[in-house]
Amino acid sequence: MEGPVLFYNGTEFEAMFHLPDPTSTKRAVLLVALLLMSGSAFAADPIEEKAKICTACHGETGVPQLKTTPVIWGQNEGYLFLQLRDLQSGARKNELMSPIAATLAKEDLLPLAGYFSKLKWPNLQQPEAPKDVAAKAQSAAASVGCPGCHLHHFQGDGSTARLAGQQREYLQKTMVDFRNRTRGNNPGMSDLMNATSSDDLTALAEYLAGLQIDQYLGSEHR
Amino acid sequence: MSSWKMTGALVGALALSFAGWTLAQAEPKGAPASAVTQEQLNAAAKDENNFLHTNGNYDQTRYFPGKQINTSNVGKLHPAWIFQTEVKESMETTPIVVNGVMYVTTSFDHVYALNAKTGEEYWHYKHAMGPVTTYCCGPNNRGVAVYDDKVYLATLDAKLVALDAKTGSVVWQTEIADPTLGYSETMAPTAVDGKILIGTNGGEYGIRGFVKAYDAKTGKLVWTFDTSPENSVGVWATTDATGKDLHRDIAAEKAQLTKTGDPYKTVGGGVWQNPSIDLATKRIYFVVGNPSPDLDGSVRPGDNLYTESLVSVDLDTGKYVCHFQYIPHDLWDLDDTSPTVLVNAKDKDGNVVPAVIHGGKTGHVYVNSRKDCSLIRFSEPMVSQEGMYTLPTAEGARMLPGANGGVEWSPMAVNPELGLTYAVNLHQPMTYQVQSSPYPGGKLWLGGAFKVIATEASFGNVTAVDYNTGKIKWQVKTPLPMMGGPLTTAGGLMFTGEGDGWFRAYDAATGKVLWSFFAGAGVNAPPASYAIDGKQYIVVGAGGNTQIDFKRGNNIIAFTTD
Ligand code: HEC
Ligand code: HEC
Repeated sequence: MEGPVLFYNGTEFEAMFHLPDPTSTKRAVLLVALLLMSGSAFAADPIEEKAKICTACHGETGVPQLKTTPVIWGQNEGYLFLQLRDLQSGARKNELMSPIAATLAKEDLLPLAGYFSKLKWPNLQQPEAPKDVAAKAQSAAASVGCPGCHLHHFQGDGSTARLAGQQREYLQKTMVDFRNRTRGNNPGMSDLMNATSSDDLTALAEYLAGLQIDQYLGSEHR
Repeated sequence: MSSWKMTGALVGALALSFAGWTLAQAEPKGAPASAVTQEQLNAAAKDENNFLHTNGNYDQTRYFPGKQINTSNVGKLHPAWIFQTEVKESMETTPIVVNGVMYVTTSFDHVYALNAKTGEEYWHYKHAMGPVTTYCCGPNNRGVAVYDDKVYLATLDAKLVALDAKTGSVVWQTEIADPTLGYSETMAPTAVDGKILIGTNGGEYGIRGFVKAYDAKTGKLVWTFDTSPENSVGVWATTDATGKDLHRDIAAEKAQLTKTGDPYKTVGGGVWQNPSIDLATKRIYFVVGNPSPDLDGSVRPGDNLYTESLVSVDLDTGKYVCHFQYIPHDLWDLDDTSPTVLVNAKDKDGNVVPAVIHGGKTGHVYVNSRKDCSLIRFSEPMVSQEGMYTLPTAEGARMLPGANGGVEWSPMAVNPELGLTYAVNLHQPMTYQVQSSPYPGGKLWLGGAFKVIATEASFGNVTAVDYNTGKIKWQVKTPLPMMGGPLTTAGGLMFTGEGDGWFRAYDAATGKVLWSFFAGAGVNAPPASYAIDGKQYIVVGAGGNTQIDFKRGNNIIAFTTD
């Protein structure tokens, strides 16, 4: 069977989201609704089919359409699974992603997570952070011990997110969301973000976004 | 999810091991493993050929009785072989050696069976990790237990796995607890009397801690001891074991208790390390870790029993025998994670009694009575204590020790001839910040943050403490905070490694450095010793450490003297 017909093109879609007027939210919600309708037509199909709806925002090649949408290709399986679970339960909320999560069948969450975790993390061509920014970020990371959980190359593991090469704007946004507990599904991360100054967060977002870690990832792993 | 931890630098080793792997595929070469009897395990303390327990023997002294390598010839120590694992990540494993076969583990739960004489690989087991792993402080594994014809491993996804010692294939596997609720395993299991004992991590995730016993043959659960009783409130103690004021607001805690009830179901209390087994009384002794959430006491009124306590339970039934709490209602994660050691020590009246000792993150060595768990003495502090116990604040309050100690998970070693115990310590000034949030269902629950103060110096030390007096016998400062742990031997030696890659032998009596070897990656694993064909070896892992970010590696290095 053919994949779902997407009834917009990338630029148009992006334009919708960049509209500064108050109707943009409404449009986004409308779009979500349309996407969901198209998605439901494929409910009985294998996981690749179910994953097609996700490309609308997370990108057909793994490069997300919007800067504040995270890369999910090649992200760690356990992490993706728990996020889908939390977005579904409402522990994590987002006006674009929550309605999508709400329609997913519980038994599809882990297979979807598994599916995306096996795709190759895209290279977003984000520049390496300048030395001073990197130094600031590394010092902030050492102080809180980020690599203790996100590991040496910020590749994460299991239920802990890969951060290296993630979208800079998304990183910035989600760390601030943790900080003000808008993102409420991990109070520990919120505490750590509160313990980190806001200019350290900005440096961290730039530094993490610019990390290229392919060389550390062996063949067995994606 | 495993071999990607390799780096380009290891391409050579990789090619080699790949060739070995292909060979193994064609013609699986099993390990010439011999069955381990309970008698052998009981007699491990006197065994000059094998290293059968993670901490050497059931007392956990990490005292090796062989003295071929000793103070006079240790200077000649050199590598006999180096084995490179597939996983270049934090290494905390203690090699176990049984009749010439060595078992080592790596981060992400790989197990290797090696020829202990040559370092050649017999088999390699990679645990098929479940998607959800909720661990703290790195994807570590501290090693296996051996019993009969099997090798036992506990995993990051909270499974207990029994492997065939000859082939490395899975005999049985069971889920110890649900990893989505914050349970994970990094400790080595303990094998005794047909049972496999295991604790749990999870004090950062609002678990209810436990020690469990499984049937070694079948994997069936025999008993569970929950580390928090249904009444975890205790006696509203206002001081710690050493008499220092904890600055508790008992009235506020009591009001909270009325409002939300006993917090025992989510109060934490991980058991990070192996219990000591008292074979004479069939009791086990272990220490329990911090309460959850770590820094926020407002949501967990009471003493939070049995967190931060020594606990003894009956080996056969898992029934409570006694406990002693060191820091009631802790707010600083200054818990007890270094394993207990059974010794005979002088009590307050000078009579030698069965005692149990351990090193705390507070920087004290605590000496307790095995009979009723009561405290006999505590040592002089091995590290600076400044501003203890300043309450954590929203902005962050400075205090020493930092939340890694003092003594972290690193085991101690005891040299009974010298009456000394050796502990490795951290000096890491930190600020303690408190924030409040409700139980997050298995997610990270710190109740705030501890931050290393970047502008202040961090370092470490190796300390020998006379457990009969509590006095420090000698102390050597190290450039980096210490994590890993010592081994002491009848040859008058004490071995321990450092995060910058140095592995050293000390004169056990004086602390004089007698030999040093640069391993290229952090030596943050406890050493072991064994002998083959009458030749003694010292072996240690050099893989660095995730938690304090020491240089990673993937080496198991065996040393000998000729
Ligand atoms: C309408 C746009 C849209 C669609 C369609 C969409 N997502 Fe998302 N997704 C987002 C946005 C935006 C976020 C970021 C949420 C936030 O900032 O909290 C997100 C976040 C996520 C996350 C969390 C990732 C992280 O790093 O924390 C996962 C997992 C995810 N999406 C999976 C999916 C899957 C699977 C699908 C298809 C079934 C899908 N998404 C479809 C917009 C979308
Ligand atoms: C004690 C472990 C721990 C430490 C330390 C830690 N994190 Fe996290 N972090 C996590 C976990 C677990 C998650 C997944 C959160 C969830 O379950 O929703 C996470 C998630 C994140 C995310 C969201 C990723 C995404 O795709 O949405 C960011 C960004 C992040 N962490 C940054 C950091 C930074 C920066 C530091 C250091 C300043 C840090 N973390 C320290 C455990 C930790």
